[in-house]
Amino acid sequence: MEKSQSELYQEILRRFHNIGVLKDVVLIGSWCIPLYKKYYLKGSIIPPLRTMDIDFFVPEPKLIKSSVDIPDILKDLGFVVDFVGKQGYIRLLHPDLIVEFLVQEQGRGSDKPYPLPSLGLNAQPLRFLNLLCEKIIKINIERIIISIPHPAWFAIHKLIVTQRRKKAEKADKDLTVAIALLHDLKNMKQSKLILEAYNSVSKKWQAKIINLLEKKQEKEILKIMKNET
Amino acid sequence: MAIKPVLKEELANSLKIQKKYEEELNKLPKGSLIKKKIKNHEYYYLVLRENGKVRFVYQGKKVDPEIIKQYKEVKQLRVKYRNLLSKIKKQIKFLRSSLRGKEPV
Repeated sequence: MEKSQSELYQEILRRFHNIGVLKDVVLIGSWCIPLYKKYYLKGSIIPPLRTMDIDFFVPEPKLIKSSVDIPDILKDLGFVVDFVGKQGYIRLLHPDLIVEFLVQEQGRGSDKPYPLPSLGLNAQPLRFLNLLCEKIIKINIERIIISIPHPAWFAIHKLIVTQRRKKAEKADKDLTVAIALLHDLKNMKQSKLILEAYNSVSKKWQAKIINLLEKKQEKEILKIMKNET
Repeated sequence: MAIKPVLKEELANSLKIQKKYEEELNKLPKGSLIKKKIKNHEYYYLVLRENGKVRFVYQGKKVDPEIIKQYKEVKQLRVKYRNLLSKIKKQIKFLRSSLRGKEPV
């Protein structure tokens, strides 16, 4: 019998934990939302809407000590390797989940994937991912420790990427999640952390975030970011 | 939060996954390795379906255990991929009907 999506997700985490990969990666993307709701923002009303994509960010790809073949480790679960784009970064496909590895895009950037031979795959380089690692929280799921970005940094990152999205639908989704998370954090009296996350981005992006929030008339969030609370 | 864009994205992903499983199934070596006992002697055959007919291809009295293991793995993988392909097809049907605003039949 095939595993359900959440069982499959747990199984991936268990296997990554067993081979020591979880120490080197940070879970990012929509799969963080249910974890925030369950372990951090209890009582949050953000819909735990998540996509099939389960993204792992590798903050220090050169420091990975493991030497494993992730596609092979997930093969018996039915994952198949998909090469995306002209150069081909790797995604592992399954009807319930798509596993991707991401690294920070350096310099001017390129469309080439980033090889991660120690994990047996190629990662996709993307901008602004380092922001997600500035404050990490560790969550214990059935004795498996997983790193995820603090929701304040996650929200600020979403406020940046929403402005770079080509698809309006995705941009809307990012913005909705970001604003909902910021309201939750404010209600939990974590305004200081919102301000800290906001201050960790460049002045140029701070201005763009303010501009966006002004358009959305998010007065309470703006007050926090302008340090007027 | 609008759910339609999420469903659209999932549909696009599901179609890609369907294509990928079909490709992977085509890539797997055809047939299954079986052992026949004829007059107290054991012989290995590769069983294939060609143009709707079952064909037995003689492989010899002995086959490298590694090859036997490989065929066993391929068989398991084929079953797995077929099940997952069937699952993804149902998912696509559900997503398409959801996007049309109808309940799946």
